[in-house]
Amino acid sequence: MSAAGPGQAAGQDGDRPARDPAGAAALERRYLRLLRCYPPAHREVHREEMLGVLLAGARPGQRTPGLGQTVNLAACGLAIRVRRIPGWLAADAGQDALAVISLIAPAAVLILLALQQAAITAWASARVPPWLLVPVLPSLAESVVGLAWLAVVLLALTGRQRKAAAIASVSLTLALLILVILVTAIMQQGHNVNLPGALFQFAGIADVPVVLVSLAACSLVFSPGPRRGLAIVGWRRACLMIAGLAAGFGFPAIVQLADPAAPIWDLAFRLLGVLAIAVAVAVTCVRSPAGRRVAGLMAAGLLPSLAVTLPVRELYLVIVLVSLLAAVLVWPVAIVSWRGRGRAERRRPLAKPDLDFTAVYAEFQAFCARRRLPASSTRQLERAWDAWQAGRYRRGEISQWPYYGDNPFRPR
Amino acid sequence: MYIYDMKKRSMQEPTFLILTALAAGPQHGYGIITDAGRISGGVTRLQTGTLYMALDRLSSAGLVEPDREEVADGRLRRYYRLTDDGAALLGAETERRRASAAVAAQRLSARLAGGTA
Repeated sequence: MSAAGPGQAAGQDGDRPARDPAGAAALERRYLRLLRCYPPAHREVHREEMLGVLLAGARPGQRTPGLGQTVNLAACGLAIRVRRIPGWLAADAGQDALAVISLIAPAAVLILLALQQAAITAWASARVPPWLLVPVLPSLAESVVGLAWLAVVLLALTGRQRKAAAIASVSLTLALLILVILVTAIMQQGHNVNLPGALFQFAGIADVPVVLVSLAACSLVFSPGPRRGLAIVGWRRACLMIAGLAAGFGFPAIVQLADPAAPIWDLAFRLLGVLAIAVAVAVTCVRSPAGRRVAGLMAAGLLPSLAVTLPVRELYLVIVLVSLLAAVLVWPVAIVSWRGRGRAERRRPLAKPDLDFTAVYAEFQAFCARRRLPASSTRQLERAWDAWQAGRYRRGEISQWPYYGDNPFRPR
Repeated sequence: MYIYDMKKRSMQEPTFLILTALAAGPQHGYGIITDAGRISGGVTRLQTGTLYMALDRLSSAGLVEPDREEVADGRLRRYYRLTDDGAALLGAETERRRASAAVAAQRLSARLAGGTA
């Protein structure tokens, strides 16, 4: 059904006497439900006027929206949501979120690699005597991958973001290549794939969610960097987020460590795994716009786990395909959001790393702790910074009134 | 960015109709829908979702902007108007369409002349 057309009886004003108040109320309720397809910010501005237009275009006595209109509203709402994703990430909170992810994701990947290796050792030691454990010691390739991610974490924490990004990207490219080869092999040869063992050894990372690896690499390439992420969340919250992610994504490995005979392919176990990741994602969602965006991006890691619950025969193939898709899709989103920032905006955090900021920031943190000011979200930090600067202004330590001065947490 | 894109590509029909509807003066959503129907001779029937998606895009590109708000029958009505940029873009698109139509008319008349000769 069309909202209106020239052939309809509605006048320019769109006034229509409601003949059936109960029907009109029901129609309004259903339209309101449909309008939930739109993003909250759009709804806040346009909900009333859209509802007015929809009701003005309704036939007398109409109680339900037409099929065409339902599809149109749902599709347009979704399109607006998709169109806003780059803006959602290009906003300060989005860039803050990517910075936080560039801090926590590489560390989570490193822990997951270690957990995976420990789980394999536990599983094997339950079956063979310890003195025969040589084959499950980490192979050379796995050690290289582990060391590479250790280097990524250390380089990221010491402010050498580009080197960390380069190593993470090489590791991700290898993992993706191996997954592509694996998918091709499964499709051609069925489950009895005959691939050189060295290839799987090189993967090393295949049991660690490749989406997480992809998020780690692309956030290192396209974000203001892990040091900025650390300035935003602080050590304590960063550790909590890393522990949450490692526990959620490493759930099967942790259970295998506790009980090597755990039925990790049972449906109930898989559902528990999904729940664990969902809780981990929720943990990363500190109550701030940046935190919600961190959780939103991390939720991409849920996709392969949700695929795990599908009752299909080619389960492994589906998981690998979904992982690949999610891991690849993360990149255009990050790139578009990065390009959405002005060139000067992009250069600002990179050209001037927050090295001299560290000492000032330590002083600021001490002030927050002394005054017991909430300082976890960007908004709280912005207010706390202004309060700190106001005190310094009163004491004559700075010459500029804080609200006119530079606030690193104020949206630009 | 949108203006740049629009210069490279031809304007979509709903966008053209919305800008044309607003060229005469500010209108509210329902007014635009009925006017767009009239302009297209009843060929294009704008859906509410399509209209507001286009308005969202055109507003962020600075081609249209809210004019005023009114409350009629307890419902909010927001009027939109064409900006100078929007008018310039509509002018350019109109010129492009006129040129295409002129070429089409010229070729058709040549064809008719050839057929009758």
